Amino acid sequence: MSGAAESARIALPASGGALAHVIGVARRSPTFVIGAAIILAFAALAVFHPWLMPHDPVRAFPTQVLHAPDAQFWFGTDSNGMDVFSRVIYGAIYAFAIAAPVVVIGMAIGVPIGLFTGYRGGWLDEIVMRFFDALRVFPSIILALAVVAAAGPSLLNVILVLGILDSPVYARVVRAEVLALRANAYVESAVAAGNPTWRILFVHLMPNALQGAMAQSAVRAAWAVRISATLAFLGVGIQPPTPEWGAMIRQGAEYMVTGQWWVGIFPGAALIALVLGLNMLGDGLQDLLDPRRKAATR
Amino acid sequence: MSAPILQVDGLVKHFPTARKGQVVHAVNDVSFAIRAGETVGMVGESGSGKSTIGRAVLRLLEPTSGSIHFQGRDIAHLPERALRPLRADMQIVFQDPWAALNPRLRARDLIEEPLLLHTDLDKVARRSRAAGLADRVHLSDALLDRYPAELSGGQLQRVCIARAIATNPKLIVFDEPTSSLDLSVRAGILELLHELRTETGAAMLFITHDLGTVKLISDRVLVLYLGRIVEEAPTGAIFERGAHPYTQALMSAHLPPDPSVRLRRHVLEGEIPSPIGLPPGCGFASRCPLAVERCRTLSPPLEALGPSHRAACLRIAEGANRLDAATPA
Amino acid sequence: MSLLEVEDLHTHFIARGLDNRIRTARALNGVSFALEAGRTLGLVGETGAGKSLTALSIMGLLRAPARIVAGAIRFEGRDLVGASEDELNALRGGSIALIVQSPRTSLDPLTRVGDQLIAVHRAHRQVDAAAARERAIAMLASVGIPDPARRMNAWPHELSGGMAQRILIAMALINEPRLLIADEPTTGLDVTVQAQVLDLLRRLVREKGIGAIVITHDLGVVAHYCDDVAVMYAGSIVESGSVRAVFGDPRHPYTRNLIASTPEKLQVDRGRRPAVPPPNLYALPDGCHYRDRCPDAAELCAQAPPWIAVGDPGHCARCHFASRQGTAA
Repeated sequence: MSGAAESARIALPASGGALAHVIGVARRSPTFVIGAAIILAFAALAVFHPWLMPHDPVRAFPTQVLHAPDAQFWFGTDSNGMDVFSRVIYGAIYAFAIAAPVVVIGMAIGVPIGLFTGYRGGWLDEIVMRFFDALRVFPSIILALAVVAAAGPSLLNVILVLGILDSPVYARVVRAEVLALRANAYVESAVAAGNPTWRILFVHLMPNALQGAMAQSAVRAAWAVRISATLAFLGVGIQPPTPEWGAMIRQGAEYMVTGQWWVGIFPGAALIALVLGLNMLGDGLQDLLDPRRKAATR
Repeated sequence: MSAPILQVDGLVKHFPTARKGQVVHAVNDVSFAIRAGETVGMVGESGSGKSTIGRAVLRLLEPTSGSIHFQGRDIAHLPERALRPLRADMQIVFQDPWAALNPRLRARDLIEEPLLLHTDLDKVARRSRAAGLADRVHLSDALLDRYPAELSGGQLQRVCIARAIATNPKLIVFDEPTSSLDLSVRAGILELLHELRTETGAAMLFITHDLGTVKLISDRVLVLYLGRIVEEAPTGAIFERGAHPYTQALMSAHLPPDPSVRLRRHVLEGEIPSPIGLPPGCGFASRCPLAVERCRTLSPPLEALGPSHRAACLRIAEGANRLDAATPA
Repeated sequence: MSLLEVEDLHTHFIARGLDNRIRTARALNGVSFALEAGRTLGLVGETGAGKSLTALSIMGLLRAPARIVAGAIRFEGRDLVGASEDELNALRGGSIALIVQSPRTSLDPLTRVGDQLIAVHRAHRQVDAAAARERAIAMLASVGIPDPARRMNAWPHELSGGMAQRILIAMALINEPRLLIADEPTTGLDVTVQAQVLDLLRRLVREKGIGAIVITHDLGVVAHYCDDVAVMYAGSIVESGSVRAVFGDPRHPYTRNLIASTPEKLQVDRGRRPAVPPPNLYALPDGCHYRDRCPDAAELCAQAPPWIAVGDPGHCARCHFASRQGTAA
């Protein structure tokens, strides 16, 4: 009888190798792995673009305008005679160049606000949160549209506006986390030790409250990519002939009806793939950080 | 007799409830003092206000009214900024060591933190002081580089204690420091506290609901019921000659881990009333087998029964305060 | 035939870690004991000793990754280990009842107390609603709830902790079980309320001749409310026997340590106890599992110790040196 127990005895596990860890992660969240793979692929495009692009993305071939895909122009050419394949690859740089700073700005503004309002509570917290609620009622695209139109359609303006507009998302996540942490004795213990408020916020609360914001960041990066492309599509963001996906889709939309589908479809597909990848990464991240969430949604 | 480190007078703390106009009367007119080197046990059941008092005397809460003289200075309504430097001299150890430490800091940094906040020591000096503190709480050096999640409950509580004694405070509040620990781990912590009691000379306020622990560790005991002190006496007297009927019932409910001890039980009826709508008169009257009509209308004052023995019961004066006389044991 | 016989029960937690390796925590390593009708067995031990897991194994309430890998659980001669979920459902709440630690979370917050009692009764007995209601009211009365007919309409959130625990006891006993398992039935209750609940439990168990297992970490509860005791350490019973024999003459060094660790027995001046973390169930030492922290460990302890019967009939300890007269620490 104890034989069965004997055979179930397994030696103390040493920590496995890197590969074992990757397999373990993949088993727990395939979503995360697929998302990460997609993003790595796009990052590779952005990093290695000089070697991957067959043509200069803004060089026009006046004789090859709206050329269908073939061996020379894999994704065809647009109305300026520029190579769509090279432009799609170059567009990845813009996608990252917008998404990354938007996330950084959003966090840099939102996280301290969330920490402070969550910790202090009271009327200040009420006012800030009502203001954020009011902002949220407005569709973000309309706000972004209005502000970028007023500030002028430059890359820097798009980044700043999106970053600021997105900061309430981080503020809310961090605030909720801080509210939960405040019930923890260690915050009271930090007060009892004589910590000044800034140390409580940034040394004691922030590292523990950032997890949710981090998991959100991938999803918010997807939002930034999507909204910036939408702005460009609507003509208030980055202007053609800059090889940015939104601007390219706008250009391509005109030719959809006339049969030159390749001008818009390829940047569109790239956009969808990256947004999907970022969303999957964000989802997977949350699964990994909180395994119960996954079990509950199963 | 030296001046007390802590002198609390007429402490009152009300908490608002969700419903408008309703308040929780957590602490109602509590006065006591603790001198240097003295360990005072504070016992009571849920709703007795013992944890609220512990937090109020360290000003982790602001009292509704009353005064709290710490080293002769009233700190009852000082702003947080003015309290901060005083925190070097008053410390607390919490009940749940798993929740009381920042999970992102190593044990070493946690022990060093009070030194960083309150002393001019440089990094090297802090480090060696932290090692010395770890040694004092019998925590091996190798554990100092670990994060809280990698330590056991007993080890975590030792980190908390090392933090609390780092700046040589004059007053340490222990809020149920052993309640969430296993028996054998608890024993180690109690031994350590016993050592520190004599070593540090700090005044200690030891809050607990465990009667065995309070008997072991305190010089004097305050018994609380519904936010009031019902009795205060040296530890031996509380266990042997408790004057207040509640003290007698509480002590008799204690179960020593020895089947050969004959219990003399006074099992109380009912439960502790809600501290929201406090009845007039004695808070214990609703459960007291000895209560008479005026107990329900008159609030009994805390009266001296002898040197350092006070109790708040109207029936003491007439000698009708003994439960064993009233109910068969 | 005993009411309940647990024989060489092994329950393991088997799970795959993030590094894709299978980790096995040997949570129960051969638990064996027997319980006679009408007797109360106290199951004591510290966190991770396997007390609650033993209860869950008996009740068939294990959830993955925990599972019984070997052993037998015979209730009135029937083996429950291989029993189907339907068979277990028929027993649970009927012949075998469980009272868990947190009374508040064990009641359905959206159903009136009376309806919960009636539902439990009718799940196991072919009775009409009126008869079930009558039975529920009688049960509430028998657990000392005043005005039971009116209390039937109470919502769980309206109950105090002690009241909720009484309701759970009523629910556990409504179908006249022959085996009752109470997992920390008074933890979290106030001392004076604990006495009421324990008295009630003892009276009902004696009246009905129920066999009861009381799981607790409180040696005081065992000493005064149980007939027999089984001491658990790292998933095995290391000593068992009548309460009087085990407390009076403990033969396993762990039992001695546990008793000596109670605040009542603790000798705080007697030296520094090292801060030992709880046993690692992933890497228990071979032979005697207690050997790595036993003060009296010898070479012989590398071999698995046998059950050794000592002195008093039924008193056994799993220690090579159990027949030596214990030096009560």
